Amino acid sequence: MKHFWKKGEPFVWLTGAALSITLLMAAVLIVVVVVNGLGVFWPSRVVTATLQDGGAVMGEVVRSESVHEAEGERLQLKIGNRDLYGLDFRWVDESAISRLEYADDTLVLERMEYGNFYGRLVSLSSEALAVAAPGNPFSQLRQAHRHVMQQKTQLTKVDEELAVVSSRMARTQRREKSLLYKGRSASDPEFLELRQEHAALQHESEALMQRHAELAGELHAYSATFADVSGRERTMPLIELVRFYQPNSMSVFSKIQYYVVRLVELIFGSPRESNTEGGLFPAIFGTVMLIFVMSLFSFPLGVLAAIYLREYAREGLVVRMVRIAVNNLAGIPSIVYGIFGLAFFVYGIGGSIDRMFFPDQLPTPTYGTGGILWASLTLSLLTVPVVIVATEEALGAIPNGVREGSLALGATKFQTLTRILLPMASPGIMTGLILAMARAAGEVAPLMITGVVKIAPALPLDGTFPFLHLDRKFMHLGFHIYDIGFQSPNVEAAKPMVFVTTLLLVLIVLVMSSVAIYLRNKMKKRYTYGTF
Amino acid sequence: MNRKVLKRIKRRDRIARYVITVGGMAIIFSVILILFLIARVAFPLFQGARTEMVTQFPLPSSTPAVPLVAAGLDDYREHPFVFDRDGVVRFYSPHEGPVATELRLQPPVPSARVRSVERFAGLSFGVLWDDGSQTLEQVHFTSSFDEHGKREQDQQVVRLASFPPPLSGTVKLSLVRVSEDGRQTQVTLLNDGSLLVRQHVESEDLFGNLSAESHEFALSGQPDEEIAALALSGGGNTLYAGTDQGTLLRWDLSEPGAAELRDRLPAFPDRRAITVLALVFGDVSLAVGDAKGGVSTWFPVRVNAEEEGKHLQRIHTLTSHKSAVKSIYPSLRDKSLVSMDVEGVLHLDHMTSERHLLSIETDTPLLLSSLSPDGRGLFAVDASGMAHLWEVHNPHPEVSLKTLFGKVWYEGYDAPAYMWQSSAATDDFEPKMSLTPLIFGTIKGTFYAMLFAVPLAILGAIYTSQFGNPRLRGIVKPAVEVMAAIPSVIIGFLAALWFAPLLEKSVPALFVSLAFVPLFLLLAIVAWQFICKYPLCKKLDRGFEFLLLAPVLVAAVFCAIQLGPVAESMFFGGNFQLWLFGETGTRYDARNNIIIAFALGFAVIPIIFTMAEDALSNVPPSLKAASLALGASRWQTVWRVILPSGSPGIFAGTMIGFGRAIGETMIVLMATGNTAIMDWSIFNGMRPLSSNIAVEIPEAPVDGSLYRVLFLSAVILFVMTFVLNTVAELVRQRLRNKYGRF
Repeated sequence: MKHFWKKGEPFVWLTGAALSITLLMAAVLIVVVVVNGLGVFWPSRVVTATLQDGGAVMGEVVRSESVHEAEGERLQLKIGNRDLYGLDFRWVDESAISRLEYADDTLVLERMEYGNFYGRLVSLSSEALAVAAPGNPFSQLRQAHRHVMQQKTQLTKVDEELAVVSSRMARTQRREKSLLYKGRSASDPEFLELRQEHAALQHESEALMQRHAELAGELHAYSATFADVSGRERTMPLIELVRFYQPNSMSVFSKIQYYVVRLVELIFGSPRESNTEGGLFPAIFGTVMLIFVMSLFSFPLGVLAAIYLREYAREGLVVRMVRIAVNNLAGIPSIVYGIFGLAFFVYGIGGSIDRMFFPDQLPTPTYGTGGILWASLTLSLLTVPVVIVATEEALGAIPNGVREGSLALGATKFQTLTRILLPMASPGIMTGLILAMARAAGEVAPLMITGVVKIAPALPLDGTFPFLHLDRKFMHLGFHIYDIGFQSPNVEAAKPMVFVTTLLLVLIVLVMSSVAIYLRNKMKKRYTYGTF
Repeated sequence: MNRKVLKRIKRRDRIARYVITVGGMAIIFSVILILFLIARVAFPLFQGARTEMVTQFPLPSSTPAVPLVAAGLDDYREHPFVFDRDGVVRFYSPHEGPVATELRLQPPVPSARVRSVERFAGLSFGVLWDDGSQTLEQVHFTSSFDEHGKREQDQQVVRLASFPPPLSGTVKLSLVRVSEDGRQTQVTLLNDGSLLVRQHVESEDLFGNLSAESHEFALSGQPDEEIAALALSGGGNTLYAGTDQGTLLRWDLSEPGAAELRDRLPAFPDRRAITVLALVFGDVSLAVGDAKGGVSTWFPVRVNAEEEGKHLQRIHTLTSHKSAVKSIYPSLRDKSLVSMDVEGVLHLDHMTSERHLLSIETDTPLLLSSLSPDGRGLFAVDASGMAHLWEVHNPHPEVSLKTLFGKVWYEGYDAPAYMWQSSAATDDFEPKMSLTPLIFGTIKGTFYAMLFAVPLAILGAIYTSQFGNPRLRGIVKPAVEVMAAIPSVIIGFLAALWFAPLLEKSVPALFVSLAFVPLFLLLAIVAWQFICKYPLCKKLDRGFEFLLLAPVLVAAVFCAIQLGPVAESMFFGGNFQLWLFGETGTRYDARNNIIIAFALGFAVIPIIFTMAEDALSNVPPSLKAASLALGASRWQTVWRVILPSGSPGIFAGTMIGFGRAIGETMIVLMATGNTAIMDWSIFNGMRPLSSNIAVEIPEAPVDGSLYRVLFLSAVILFVMTFVLNTVAELVRQRLRNKYGRF
């Protein structure tokens, strides 16, 4: 025993404990994210609690905790029905509950607005009954809803036409403005023509709006009446319902089905209720596009700089200093890059572009405000050092013999580079690129000041000319987390969505960086005989 | 080989060499350019003000020459105007030739002439006539646009109020104010030294009936000295007076019909005469000009905590003139002051920053001067009848090294303080832009985070590189590297929305676990000594200790959480937060430094860990082998041989981790609460530089002072990380040279 202490063995155990704590912390983080994130879409049972005082509460049990100064536990219920109660959550003391039951006909409605509704189905409107085959009310509701959803496609079509017309109207307005800017008078023939065109479009849009109103009115006639736990009734048009289910009578299979449907909605749907519900598609799209545009800039630049540093520059004080500078840049806070992007790209270059090419739009900025292009450029500056370091490392790992062999056979330096060195270094370069992409996916601070927004009205890539709109603002998964977790009016109700987004982002980043690290380690093994 | 092909290949090689060299250099230089660009944005903060002469023209004098009494200027710097003794207001338009529009003020009695004019709040002028009556005139500029879009200005003078002369005595000095609710106040200094107050208050009762009351009374309490200067606040609530013996007086006139003397104190030890008084924009501070040329500002301060009420105290001393101060005009946009002495030298100073921005001295001494309401134009008339019109470029008067880093005595505070409060609801607000609390916040957060992260990371790296089973090492190291890739927004979110509420409920559990973790570890080690004798467990020992310890640690934390409430009721009277507040006066913030230490620490552990591990495992194995062969134990080898050799690498890793912690934005933005306080307590939050930038830059007007101060803080962040990283990099390069690898 004494020997054991003397040898310093406890210190070894201490270091082991430190590693243990580190890994446990990481594990806790992952577990918390996974557990909270995965469970969100699983339809949990809805409980009906009858209280001692005769009242009743219906909702999903979110958690329970011990009451601070008294005996027993209290439950937090998600009671939904925001339009009726104003609050989504309610704490109920267990001691105040006389009976808990899980009624089979309890219905959960996911709505376009006001969050979930918990209650029972009372009746369907006559229009809705007309399109449903006779049967039990729930399946009638289902059929009527399906019918409404089919009808809704027409409405969407009208909406799309309307969007096209209004974008054309905006274009004619822009042209009018630029004509005025050029000094043409209001009686110019070209101007009058534009006016005419505008009037025609206006007419068309009014007709479409009329049609929209008619269709919507027809669809709103399909409605159903629901009652909450205390019997308060509420009639809702079916078009307002996203989906509905009876969680207490669902089988495991239908729960899985529901889960998959929600997952598909998450990835391909657009957000609702100020981002706290619905899908993440715009955010995912924005993130992917941001990373893509960023790689277009940072990858060639980084590789070029690394090739220069490693293959062409003469070793000396300058190169040493440059290398220090590059390593240094990798350590500069991202917010500093962000503020640089704001001053240089947004106000500097963007402002100049506006003055040169869009003077008729001023003072409304076109490029002189945050947008996906500027955010990508800022991020590419941020990630260039990562690519440089990784590429340099990869090139440095190639034994000199390989280079000398190639040169000795008469190849030029450029040939050696393109035929021998770059192919050999490609896994390392890939590693750098993937690491850069992972960093860009998780970086939020610089984006916040160069163009990310809470809700972007349109994607940066769409069907209207010129298809790619690099001046548009965009949504981003990381910012989404910050935004709905910290700036949404109802943080508690937004929490499930934050966890889901977090899980998605963690998965993306972890998979990317694991692949990168795997590639790097593989490459290291390949050249372990060399020196680097 | 074909000559042509050879030639082409060679040409390509040359082109490639050229392109790569130029491209590579360009990229590297453009990246290095970043600092210069950021610094360039911040740089104008420290530039002084400058003036640009717009025009200079002789005033077309009337015949016979009538002395001028006041001057003024509009916001477009197009129409300077002067008041003369005859009550004529003359508007010039120097850009279109010296045509003057003349407007004659209606004298209260025929043939009365103007005695003096006092300018206050924009373009309002209190005109004192030589019969003792007073009128309040406002100059209006109305802009209109003709069909070519050219702006045209029209001038008007509107009389807002008029006061008849006092019943007896000759008037020496008189001030008049009309407050926003229509209350009119006139203070008159008579030749016999008595002060007369006239108030006219209109009030509306609940039913909308208007009632008017007038008060007229003489003030009492002034010393037996000659009053040389008066100042009245914009609403007519406070009256200041200064005497030729240097006594400052302050009356409260807010109660109609009554006055209360609040202050009567000698302003200067040498009893020099006070010559001018003026209220700085916002009506809180009083600017005092004296006979020796000194300009100082004063405001009421609570002198000691027991005493009720506040007393005037000298707060800022501005640059002195060479001779007695003749007039002081406050800017109407910020806390700047224009002061002029009897020799006609003009000074522009800023109160908060105490910066001397400008001195203007012309060939012939200046007589009258006026700032335009937006503070960008300066108009002056000199003794020879020459008018001067300047454009003033004074973008950042409120910022100086002292306001950025030193303690500043802000209006309404009882003592100088470090303060960050960049904006408020009102225009006359004094921006408080001290970077000290932000730098403090950065250092505080980083310090606790490093306290948590460095030991864990370095000890973990020692274990992984030296004691761990090589196969496990192949898993642990990549795992930690992947940990480094977890986006900080996720760490921040979990810290703020998952960990903070948990911790808020169970702070005592944290303290208990601080005791339990070492205790359990010790017990586990001792227990292992007995267990490891069994042959089955022998294999497990070496290289897998950390796996064995994991359940022990989990158990320790679990027990601590269970015992937390017990400890809370035993030591902290059942509620830790109440206890903390009662015992130490510290309020427990939900988002506090403990959270930051964990979250930020978690973010930097992988960085330090990876570099330390690299450094340790690159120590040549021969050293280790030699030490072990000499009979040292494995810990002795590590402690005496490996650690000293690897220490530069560990140091470099720590520096880089430190740099990362300083610049980390999202975690601190989400989990600190962002209050700019200076307190080392771990139970409250802070506001670091980085999150301050993220919070404020979207609202900062481009090229404004706040915008540039935020860029300055970015420069500070840059320099901090640059120094840390360069040190780390130099150390690493030396290490690389020593061992030839890394």
